[in-house]
Amino acid sequence: MTSKKLKKIANEIRYLMIQSIRPLESHHIGCAFSIVDIVVFIYFKILKVYPKNPKNEKRDIFILSKGHAALAVYATLQKKGFFSKKYLLDYDQDGSILSEHINHQVAGVEVSTGSLGHGLPIGVGWAISFLRDDKKNKVYVLISDGELNEGSNWEAIMFAAHHRLHNLVVILDNNGFQGYSSTKNVINLFPLDKKFRDFGWNVYKIDGHNFLDMEKVFNTIKNNENKKPNFIIAKTVKGKGLPDFEGKFESHYKSIDQKNKETILKGFDMNL
Amino acid sequence: MRQGVINEVYKLMKENKNIYFLTADLGYSVVEKIEKDFPKRFINVGVAEQNLMGIAAGLALSGKKVFVYSIIPFVTMRCYEQIRDDICYHDLDVIILGVGAGLSYGILGGTHFALEDITILRPLPNLTIFSPADETEAILGVRYFKNHHHPVYFRIGKKEEPKIYNKSYLFNFGKGVILKKGDDIVIFSTGPIISEVMKAVDLLRVKNISASLINIHTIKPIDYELIINESRNKKFVFIVEEHSVVGGLGSSIAEVLSENIKDKDLRIIRIGTEDKFIKKIGTQSYLRKFLKLDSQGIFEKILFYLYEK
Repeated sequence: MTSKKLKKIANEIRYLMIQSIRPLESHHIGCAFSIVDIVVFIYFKILKVYPKNPKNEKRDIFILSKGHAALAVYATLQKKGFFSKKYLLDYDQDGSILSEHINHQVAGVEVSTGSLGHGLPIGVGWAISFLRDDKKNKVYVLISDGELNEGSNWEAIMFAAHHRLHNLVVILDNNGFQGYSSTKNVINLFPLDKKFRDFGWNVYKIDGHNFLDMEKVFNTIKNNENKKPNFIIAKTVKGKGLPDFEGKFESHYKSIDQKNKETILKGFDMNL
Repeated sequence: MRQGVINEVYKLMKENKNIYFLTADLGYSVVEKIEKDFPKRFINVGVAEQNLMGIAAGLALSGKKVFVYSIIPFVTMRCYEQIRDDICYHDLDVIILGVGAGLSYGILGGTHFALEDITILRPLPNLTIFSPADETEAILGVRYFKNHHHPVYFRIGKKEEPKIYNKSYLFNFGKGVILKKGDDIVIFSTGPIISEVMKAVDLLRVKNISASLINIHTIKPIDYELIINESRNKKFVFIVEEHSVVGGLGSSIAEVLSENIKDKDLRIIRIGTEDKFIKKIGTQSYLRKFLKLDSQGIFEKILFYLYEK
C-alpha cells in the first residue's frame, strides 16, 4: 500500500471522526486527531487482524493505552471492516457502548483503558505470554506523553527490558501537551530517547504524520537482531487535520457545536 | 495455610500447562518449588504491584489462568485500580492470593496488616471473595477454583492456623457451614479467627448460652439463604472477623439482615477491629488478646451485649 493510498484512508477516517463527534459533549478531539496517521499505518500495514473474527488467536495485539483518543481507533476499526458506519456513529451517544475512552466491548478493541498507565503493563503481560509460548504474534502499545508521568509505565518499562520482550513495540504520541499544560511545563520528559536507551530499549524517532518514516522504522524493527523491546517516539501535532485545532493545547478539551461541526465537514479538504 | 495453598497450586500447574504464577518479590522459602519446576510459568515481577496486576491481566487476556501472590495490602491496595479496571471489568481468570489475613504479620506492624481488604473488594462486580478457616478448607478452595474462570480474591492466613475441619469435610462453594448448632444466638465468622470463636462458644455454654456458629467462607457471593434462615427467631446475631468492623463480613451480614428480616428486636453486633490504628505490635495471638479478639475477649463482648439493659 502506497503512502498516497494511506493518506487517502487517513483523510477518510478523519472525516468519519468528525461525523461521529457529538456536538458540545465530545472532548479529547485534539488527542484523537494527533494519532490518526500512526493508527492508520499500524492497522493497514502492520497488524495481522481479522475483522470478521476479532478474537482470532493468530492476530497481533494493539492496545490504545491513551484511551481518551478512542475515536481514532473506532473509526479505523470501522474502515477496516470490524463494524458498520451506523454503529460507529453511536460514538458518545446515550445508550451506546462506544464510550469516549476506549471500550473492549467494541469488536476489535482488546482492552478498555482510560485511566492512564494501564495499557503498557497489560501489553507486557501479553508479550511475555507470546514469547514463552514461542508464538510469533506481536504486541503494539500506543501511549501519550502525559501518560508517561504515571509510575506504572516505568515498572513495565524496566520489566520489558529485563525480560527482553523484543516482540513489543511501544509508540509514543509525542504531541507535547497534556491535561493541564504543555508537557515541558508539567514534567519535562526529555531527553526521552536517552532515558529509554538507558532503560535497555531500542529507540527510534519519527515524524508521526509521515508514512515513509513509519515504513522505514517498522522495517528496521522487523530486521532487528537484538532482543530488546522497541520504543518509537513519534512527533505529532495535536489536532492534526483540523486546522482550528492544530497545535493548540485547548484541543484537548475543546468541544464543538452542531454549527461548527457542519462547517468543518463542509470545508473538509480530502486532499489534506 | 500459605504452604498448603501453594502446594495445591503447584499440583494444578503440573496438570495444566496454561497456569501462570506471579509474585511481587515475596514468597521466599514458600514458592521456590514452583519456580524450579515451572520456570516458564513463574514470574517474579519485583516490588511492582501495579505492573504485577497489569501483567496478570495481559496473561489472562492471552488465555492463561493466573495466580497472583503477595501480602494482602500490597496485592489489593497498591494495585486496586488495576484489580477494578483491568481484572474485574474485563472479567478475567485471575486468582489473587493475598497472604496475611488480619493480624497475621503482627510484629511487622500496621503497613502489613490486612484489616480493610474485604471492605474495598466487596463492591467490585465479577469478583468472588473466599476466606478459608483452615488449611483443609483453603486447599479445597484452590481445587474448586480450578474450574472457575472469573476473578477471585483468596484471603489466606500465614502458617500454623488451628485445624477446624477433619479430612472428611465436604466443601460447597458459596454455602456457609454450620459448625455448631445453638438456640439462643448465632455467631457468623470467617477465616482463621474461627478457632478463637469456637472456644468462645464453649465459654458461653458454661454460662448456659447456646450459640450457633457458622463459617462464611465465601464472603462474596454471600449465602443469603443460610444467613437469613439461621438469624430468624434469634434475638442476637454476632459477627466476628479479624478485619475492620467497617465494611467487612459484619457489614455484609448486616446488609442482608436489615433488608430481609422484619423482626424489630433483632440486634446485629459486629466484632472486629475498630476504626483506630493499632498502637502496639506483637504476635497475632498477643494482638488478638490486646484487642479482645481472642476467645476470652469475644466471649466477654458477647456477654456485654446479652446482659445490656
